[in-house]
Amino acid sequence: MENKQSSSPASFVDSTVVPGDVVLDLSSMTSQTIKLGGGLRQDCDAISAMKAGTLRFSKPNKYWIESSQKRYVPCVEDTILGIVVDSKADNFLIDIKGPAMGFLPVLAFEGGTRRNIPKFEVGTLLYLRVVKANFGMNPELSCTDASGKAAEFGPLKDGYMFETSTGLSRKLLSSPTCPVLEALGKKLSFEIAVGLNGRVWVNAASPDTIVVVANAIMNSESLSGAQQIIMVDHLLKNIQ
Amino acid sequence: MEVDREDGRSQNQLRPLACSRNILHRAHGSASWSQGDTKVLAAVYGPKAGTKKNENPEKACIEVIWKPKTGQIGKPEKEYEMILERTLESICILTVNPNTTTSIIVQVVNDDGALLPSAINAACMALVDAGIPMKHLAVAICCCLAKSGYVILDPTKLEEQKMKAFAYLVFPNSVRSVLPEGSLRVEGEPIENGIITSVTHGIMSVADYFYCLERGRAASVKLSDFLRRNLQQQSTDSSKAG
Repeated sequence: MENKQSSSPASFVDSTVVPGDVVLDLSSMTSQTIKLGGGLRQDCDAISAMKAGTLRFSKPNKYWIESSQKRYVPCVEDTILGIVVDSKADNFLIDIKGPAMGFLPVLAFEGGTRRNIPKFEVGTLLYLRVVKANFGMNPELSCTDASGKAAEFGPLKDGYMFETSTGLSRKLLSSPTCPVLEALGKKLSFEIAVGLNGRVWVNAASPDTIVVVANAIMNSESLSGAQQIIMVDHLLKNIQ
Repeated sequence: MEVDREDGRSQNQLRPLACSRNILHRAHGSASWSQGDTKVLAAVYGPKAGTKKNENPEKACIEVIWKPKTGQIGKPEKEYEMILERTLESICILTVNPNTTTSIIVQVVNDDGALLPSAINAACMALVDAGIPMKHLAVAICCCLAKSGYVILDPTKLEEQKMKAFAYLVFPNSVRSVLPEGSLRVEGEPIENGIITSVTHGIMSVADYFYCLERGRAASVKLSDFLRRNLQQQSTDSSKAG
């Protein structure tokens, strides 16, 4: 097996790394600020991988490991779909598919005061934003955007929610629009909310549309763009 | 020394390896590992909030459940659980998710020799599939010592029963690095020369044990390569949604 030991970090970018691989050597990059994203950890002067995945680099100085999992690692400013598990005096406890429960403060709504606290039943699906995600603490969530407006956050009524991997959620939210969503959007009309924590909610006028959209999205994970369009055409032909 | 093994392998030859990840729908990470006819399925659930009673809340906690193919759970299963737990605790980075529990369930599908090393390999791949942060991978191998003094690797069940002694050895995988060679050394030795776990049965002399370690280490390089190729392949054709 060839020994890849070159001194330029470009050799590992966009290639698959395994936990333990040392991907960056800080001693050769003095006086630079580097931002490390998920999956990397610092060990004195060496940055090594904690997860298996593809090492990505974005100019000027961001490195991270891209991988797709079924569980979610909370990050600030992510939009996610959470399910209410319990309500306490000050917070709602929300399940966000991460290592700890999320806390949604009772006042984190547009125009929220102590007098008009919303009552969510256990099991309500909410579209939320992550405000704080610190090490060791439960992540704090909110139903408003950064400026305090409601902006589509809050409970999602009707529709159908299904779980996916985090990689598929990211693909669905990427721009330009994911091929499967574009192909579906040309023929059907539906409403969709994608959470970066691996949950997707779909709503449409009739249940058949909802089922077709959900199945198309679930099947599209391992397909390339062209294959996704073919798959969607096939599914739509069968229902018409 | 030429040795006649029943399936025609040479002394240091391993059985055909097969590994697939993300095979269970509900588990957060899963892997199946087979070495010849020995097959083990591992599933990982977690990290979930909360630790067990007497565990340190500043670290993540790992819980292992071993399910044998038949029969009730008894002392040998508890011993395997403890060995797996200690091995996996030393390769996972426990400080990343404090106060959480990760459960690993190992199901024996078929036992044809070298069961514990297969289980360790399966559990390690399942942890990678679940995205649990790890320091490096663990590569496990079984070495046996025969009465006449020769050492064979990866025995079948029949071979294991005829041996004088055997050792299960777990090594860290070989890492690729951008650092110049020599700077990843710990106390003057490269990381791959370390050993994570060693479980021995039977009587062997010290010299024989060191010989087993050497053979095991050489084989662990081949296993590391197999793991790396497997992870590369499955990341290029991305896994199906759960």
